[in-house]
Parts: sequence; C-alpha cells; structure tokens
Amino acid sequence: MERGGTELHTLAGAYALDAVSDADRTRFEQHLARCAECVQEIRGLREATARLGAAAAIRPRAELKAGALRAAARTRQLPPLTRDAAATRRGRPARPAPGRYRLWPRRWAPRLAVAVAAGFLAVAVAMGALALGTQHRLDQDKVRGHAIAAVLNAPDVTMLTARVTTGGTATVLESRHERALVFTAAHLPVLPAAKDYELWLMGPGGVRPAGMLPHSRAGMVGPMIVSGLAAGDWVGLTVEPADGSARHPSAPVLMMSLDS
Amino acid sequence: MTDGQGLPGPGPAAEPGAGADLAVLLTHVARGDQHAFEEVYDRMAGPVLGMVRGVLRDLAQSEEVMQEVLLELWRTASRFDAGKGSALSWVMTLAHRRAVDRVRSEQKAAEREFRAASAQIDYDDVTEAVEATLDRERVRHCLRSLTDLQRESVTLAYYGSYTYGEVASLLGVAVGTVKTRMRDGLIRLRDCLGAE
Repeated sequence: MERGGTELHTLAGAYALDAVSDADRTRFEQHLARCAECVQEIRGLREATARLGAAAAIRPRAELKAGALRAAARTRQLPPLTRDAAATRRGRPARPAPGRYRLWPRRWAPRLAVAVAAGFLAVAVAMGALALGTQHRLDQDKVRGHAIAAVLNAPDVTMLTARVTTGGTATVLESRHERALVFTAAHLPVLPAAKDYELWLMGPGGVRPAGMLPHSRAGMVGPMIVSGLAAGDWVGLTVEPADGSARHPSAPVLMMSLDS
Repeated sequence: MTDGQGLPGPGPAAEPGAGADLAVLLTHVARGDQHAFEEVYDRMAGPVLGMVRGVLRDLAQSEEVMQEVLLELWRTASRFDAGKGSALSWVMTLAHRRAVDRVRSEQKAAEREFRAASAQIDYDDVTEAVEATLDRERVRHCLRSLTDLQRESVTLAYYGSYTYGEVASLLGVAVGTVKTRMRDGLIRLRDCLGAE
C-alpha cells in the first residue's frame, strides 16, 4: 500500500456515502485504482447504501411515466465502452452536460428562505423516514422534536419569511392542520444581557406570549415550535426583559400575518 | 431510436419478463429495448424517488431528479458492469450522487449553517410519508444494530448530504472518528442486511 494509503483507506465509508469533497473523491479514486481490496470493500458498502436508499421508496405519480418513456425514446444511448476506453475512463462516471437532460424548467429559485426551509425539511425526512430512535436525548427535546416534525410533514405546511426591522430575517413554517408553526431566525442583532427576544401570537383571540427565543448559534436561532394557533393570528417578535416577565408586548420588531 | 414515440412493437425473442433480474433488464435496455426500460422504470422509479426525496425533500424537484436519473439509466445502461456490483447498487449510487450534487450546488452557505443548527432535532415519528416495504423493516432493524454514533454518521451523510467533515462538527466529534464510524457502520449494515 502506498504511503498515506491507510489514512485514505478510512475514507471508504464516507466515499460510499458520497460524504466527501470533490478533492477527496479524486484522491480516493486514485487510491482505488491501485487497491483491489478497496474496490471490493466499496462494492460491499455500496450495496448497503443502496438498500438504505431503496428502503425509502415512495410511489411516483403515474403521469410521470409517459414523460420518462418519451424522453428515453428521443435520447441517444451511449455505446458500450471498448476495453481501451474503459481503461482511460475508469473511475470517471459518465455525466451529462449540465442542462442538457433537464426535462422541466427549474422552478427552484435559490433564495435563502427557500433553501433554508428545504434544508430544514431534508433533515426532517432523513431522520424521520427511517424512524431513528436516539435514546440519549431528553424527553423534553423529544416532545419538541415530534411537534416540529409534525409541522414540517403536515400536508398543508407553508413558509413565510420577513425581515426583522432591527436586522436579520425570520422564517416561519406554518401548518393550519397542526395549528402550529416553527419559527427560525437568522442574524438577529445581539441584545444587551438583560434583554431577550420574545415571540407573541396576536389575533382575535387576544395577545398570548409564545415563548422566549433561544440564544443564537452561529447566527441562527431556533427552530422553535409554537402551538395553539387560531384563525387570524399574527406572529410578533419583541425585545423584552430576559426573565420573561413582560405581561404585554413592547413595540414589535417583526409582525407577520399567518393568513397566506 | 428513429421511432420517436416508441410504439410497443414485438420485442426480441429473449424479452425479459416481469420477474427478470434487474441486471438482465439493464442489458436489454443497453440494446435499446424500450419494454425493458419500462420495466426498469416500474421497478426503480419508486426507490429512486423516495431516496432523492429524502435528500432534497422538495417533491417537485425530486421528481425532476428522478426523471433525470431514469433517463440517465437509459442513456448509460451499456456501462453497467455486473462484475462491479449489483444493478440496484449501480442505480442507487448514480441517483444518490445526482441528488447530493444538486443539493451541494444549489445550497448557500447560510443554509448549510442553518442545517447544522436544525439537525439537532429528533424527528423519529415521521414515517407516514414513506410507504411501508418489507425491505424498509429490515433496513430499520439493521440500522438499530448500529451504535448511535455510527447510525447518526451514516444517516446524516446519506440523507443529509453532509460531508464527513460537516458531520463531525454537527456531532461534535473528531473528523477521524466520524470517518471510522461511517465505515464501521456501513460494514455492520452490510453484514446485517446480507445475513438475513
């Protein structure tokens, strides 16, 4: 084994999971070309990841099939690799020119809010789809996690974003069905020690405190679950004494209507 | 390939039936057999779509990637080499790579930070979206046989499309530890799934 081979070899799992950077991938594939044992190992690990992926199967909409068959009928197939070509191209999977095989126009605008929600949801599904129990979490966290997951996976979940007047952005994922919302914020200004951000629900049902925001981590706050939404509610964010003693909200730095 | 609409004419004599092995189907697809492709679609669209949705979450976008992957299978079926692994593995590897590439190319740094924050949540009761399959039960059973750290490393990488470095900072453990846990976790998963 070449120098550094042992260190590289430990990348096998990450490589099989596509959890490597492009540079790591290149390095590892160079290593694979010289290590028959590693090729064998990757083969086994890929079988495991394939089963992990296939276990999440869902039924596609029936309408999609005709489109796929039509697209195939219009698309030229690659000829088999000859031995020489195989040698020069080994380890470099054929990848189409970007855009060429796109069947539909991109609906995805890479706006921060959308990206935030999508990433948020990706983790929800990833962790939820396989029903992973993690025994070491506190019960309270678990209840909160379940409530958040219920909102994220509600059939009617909608997303709202707004700027906070004093700086930063707030994102709300809301489900009428669950009568709950998940609040997150990015880059809120840091407050003096005795102050904290507090969420409120305001609507025909009156003004209800909805909890103090947790402290930000790496500029991000939340996710925080707020339950008991009523029709016509707004969500407001205010700056209040850190001990949560405010009976009434001060002037909000954010007001979002939940009627979309 | 001049018959653009692909009218279902009589297939070749050795046309694979409904029970044919996926690898056999792919060899027929490689020869331009549209019936075989339809059979591959029927079998693989669901697993591909479900996995991609686990990674991307957005259904419309996942459908788009699923269709691209199926078309890619049609296009590159001649490159499938049964000597290098199973057909399922070939298909799912191609699909996962596509999904992860899509995530990484479109996500902004801020969102990745956000995922780091939100990954702390426990989401273990969200099974309704996933259709029950026998294999899912088996995979779940086998996932339970991993240690917490192995399982979290594997699933954050596979469905969260994090790199091992990102997984390490999410879980607050050393990079070397995560690399090892990913490998050990997959080995255990492989052995458990193979030993049924």
